[in-house]
Amino acid sequence: MFSTELIVQTFISGVMIGVLYALMALGITFIYSIMRMINWAMGEFYMIGSYLQYMLVALLLGPDLWWLAIPISATGVFALGIAVQWGLLKPIFRKPPETRDDYATVVTLALLLLFRSLATGIAGPNQFTPGSNLPVIMVGPMPLAGARVAAFVFALVALALFWGVLRYTWYGLALRAASQSRVGVQTAGIDVLGIDRMAFGIGVALAGLAGALLAPVFLVFPTDGLVTTVKGFEIVVIGGLGSIPGALIAGILLGLIESFGAAFIDSAYQNIYGFLLVLAILVLRPTGLFGERGREA
Amino acid sequence: MKRRGLLWAGVLATSFGAWGVSARAQDINVGLIVPLSAPGDATGGQLIRRGAELAVDMVNQQGGVGGKKLKLFVQDSQGTPQAGVAAYRRLVTEDKVVAVPGFFHSSVAIAVNEVAKEMGVPTISVQASASDITAKHYDIAFRTHAVDPVRVSTWMEFIKQKGYKKVSLVAETTDYGIGLTEETIAQNKSGKFGLDIQKVTFDNKATDFTPQLLQVKNFKPDLVINIGVGQPLDLIVDQATTIGLLPNTPMLISYDAPTRPQWWKLHEKDGSGIYFIAYYSPKSPLSDIGQAFAKAYRDKYKEDPVYGALNGFGAIEILAQAIKNGGGAEPKAIVKALESGTYKSWPTAPVTFPRADGVYWHNWVPPVLILHYTKPLQDWKEAEIVVQYSKK
Amino acid sequence: MAAALEAIGLSKRFGGLQAANDVTLAVEQGEVRGLIGPNGAGKTTLVNLVTGVYQADSGDVKLAGESLIGLAMHEIARRGLVRSFQVTRLFGSLTVRENLRTAFLARRPADMDGEARIERMLDLTTLRALADTHAKKLSGGQRALLQMGCGFMVPGSCYVLDEPFSGINPVIKDAIIDMIVEVNRQAGATFLIVSHEMAIVRRLCPKVTVMMEGRVAAHGTLDEVARLPEVVAGYLGKALE
Repeated sequence: MFSTELIVQTFISGVMIGVLYALMALGITFIYSIMRMINWAMGEFYMIGSYLQYMLVALLLGPDLWWLAIPISATGVFALGIAVQWGLLKPIFRKPPETRDDYATVVTLALLLLFRSLATGIAGPNQFTPGSNLPVIMVGPMPLAGARVAAFVFALVALALFWGVLRYTWYGLALRAASQSRVGVQTAGIDVLGIDRMAFGIGVALAGLAGALLAPVFLVFPTDGLVTTVKGFEIVVIGGLGSIPGALIAGILLGLIESFGAAFIDSAYQNIYGFLLVLAILVLRPTGLFGERGREA
Repeated sequence: MKRRGLLWAGVLATSFGAWGVSARAQDINVGLIVPLSAPGDATGGQLIRRGAELAVDMVNQQGGVGGKKLKLFVQDSQGTPQAGVAAYRRLVTEDKVVAVPGFFHSSVAIAVNEVAKEMGVPTISVQASASDITAKHYDIAFRTHAVDPVRVSTWMEFIKQKGYKKVSLVAETTDYGIGLTEETIAQNKSGKFGLDIQKVTFDNKATDFTPQLLQVKNFKPDLVINIGVGQPLDLIVDQATTIGLLPNTPMLISYDAPTRPQWWKLHEKDGSGIYFIAYYSPKSPLSDIGQAFAKAYRDKYKEDPVYGALNGFGAIEILAQAIKNGGGAEPKAIVKALESGTYKSWPTAPVTFPRADGVYWHNWVPPVLILHYTKPLQDWKEAEIVVQYSKK
Repeated sequence: MAAALEAIGLSKRFGGLQAANDVTLAVEQGEVRGLIGPNGAGKTTLVNLVTGVYQADSGDVKLAGESLIGLAMHEIARRGLVRSFQVTRLFGSLTVRENLRTAFLARRPADMDGEARIERMLDLTTLRALADTHAKKLSGGQRALLQMGCGFMVPGSCYVLDEPFSGINPVIKDAIIDMIVEVNRQAGATFLIVSHEMAIVRRLCPKVTVMMEGRVAAHGTLDEVARLPEVVAGYLGKALE
């Protein structure tokens, strides 16, 4: 019953989906760390990324050039994020911090509804797939759809790039500084509102990237961002809001727990195992595994 | 400045909602509750809607019902009971409809019927198959669709014909999925089929079914019955192919999703060899109004009508006839008329809704088929007919 | 020649409180000016107005003759006006070295000059041993030194320091004084220092400006202003019987 083969397959499956969950959660936590606001519409940016990928592949490039379409889709979501931040969110950051969170919540929730309705209205309720010509790949004893492995590899590369930029570049230093002291970074001569804009763009582009990568795996339809919203926020609670290593570790943890729970306890409750972990964290360590205790303004 | 942004966003977001417009006094208002967004099967809902809308146009073009025009009010059930019940209430209290056809998801139909029982406006389920929809014998509950026992009998016939012994049921944890699973197990016992049945369940909001499918693969069944609706159905087919379960193990899809054009767009590579339930074959003849509808549908949508659209059309036609012949556009009168009259719908056989026993109360059952795609991109009308089962 | 830093009729109201009332002062190039006054006199308000944290209701601020009114905090910082905070603002999760490096975010140094300057500053602040420690782990005194170090990394023309000596032990106070003197002598930078530590003000500042209740009350050497009755009264809070 508990064959080693099944255990290995379950482990691989869990890690792979976990990395992709981490990519979804990373955007939420990154935006929060810089702008101190929660973007509730994160799932919708994932969805837009998936639709862009579908349109590029199905209408222009064909499935063999999927890898070319991915960065284009992510960039498209990035550009949309910049526009949204500049038009709708920047104005609130001139206001005192007390009202900021409420306003950000209202605006991002409205965006969520707007994007979802637009998608249904423009593209219809059907599901699409950009299709994939990638062959089934054997990872150890486990057969995996080529597209899923590609998504995993791409996600790892994106995460590594992101970490590299943060740790080794000037811009990364500015981003890290801004997440620790908004006033401090301004007295160092950096326009913090410009940082906000880039951070928002990068954050939603991460979700859009996840959407583009998973388009052939999870299909493309107006509410396909739901998985990002649900898992993304679960991970942020587990890993700690504002912690980037927290997002990665919690993502993989969630993927593994769901995978093992579904395989060895009961597959009907696959989504419940993650919730149980969330509850446990809220009781035992409310700020999350790597959550920060507080921050100087 | 910021308020304008908020208002703008809010207006646009809600503008894609219900198109409730007040009607003139000479109109007869009819509701329609179908899934138009996830987690409901939005394609299924859209097809029923097409049929109903075209039927309303056709009836109105021929002078309406007793001189009055029909007006259709469409609501999205989203495939969830809460949204469905809210939709029904809205239709009855605000839009003052006299009947509510539609219903694709069983859980929605069951929940709405509990409310309809009190509010009195009859419902006609055109594609929801769980027994409880009519088995509770509510006056207001009607159905023009196969009930689950008939669906299961059809595939038991298929299993017997093929000599399968080990069967895996991969079912969603909704009324539909659980109902079909239990009915299959019950018929296995009562019909003494002697099958070894594996039951594997999943949450219909999940996106990864690999754990369940690995269990199925380990069981080494002769047949897998895919009892998922909407996205899970497609994801299961894809993921089963990835882990090597398909195409070697035959798979039966529990409803007619493969008849839709979207099927081959999504499953160009792994859709051939699939078996599926269907309720309509071009080989079964259409009535005169059925033919007129099929032609109008082809002209408008450039594709042949499928079962969902035909039944959506049929429900409106039946209602129009019931109102015209039965004494008026009033819910109680419609209920009486439906029970006692004989109606013409898209098939040649007449349609009646007698107060029969058990699940067949107020129920008309079309024949149920099992079709088989023998090659990729095959037109569903050319698919092989493997079983045709009629309720005796 | 224009004054290094000028405030001209600055006023700022917060609800019912007139925190700054027609404040006018001028600090000359290369001067080290003290800004003193009792609690609530409006010293920090003035610092915030000058550095762009608050927008003035009326009045003007000039840095080397150019107006700073309407500019954002970071733009003012880029013009060479550097400030420190009474409650030290550092980047807690960055190391001491990385904190120093943030000085270059706005203006990249030419090649290796930057790293060399960081190394020199580590010595100047006596924090070399803690170079790779996260700033949040530093003691209060070490944080003050690091904040000074960060401020002096930038080749600014004018430094506004808000209570740089409060709550630190004498050894570190001396180190900070040495840094201020060094930078003033080497680069000819101008200083405006808010402080309660009269002994240090006496040592560092040839001239002081006294603020009371949002206004400039007096101006002169420390000894001169300490003799004025209104200054004495302001500090003691009530007239002597």
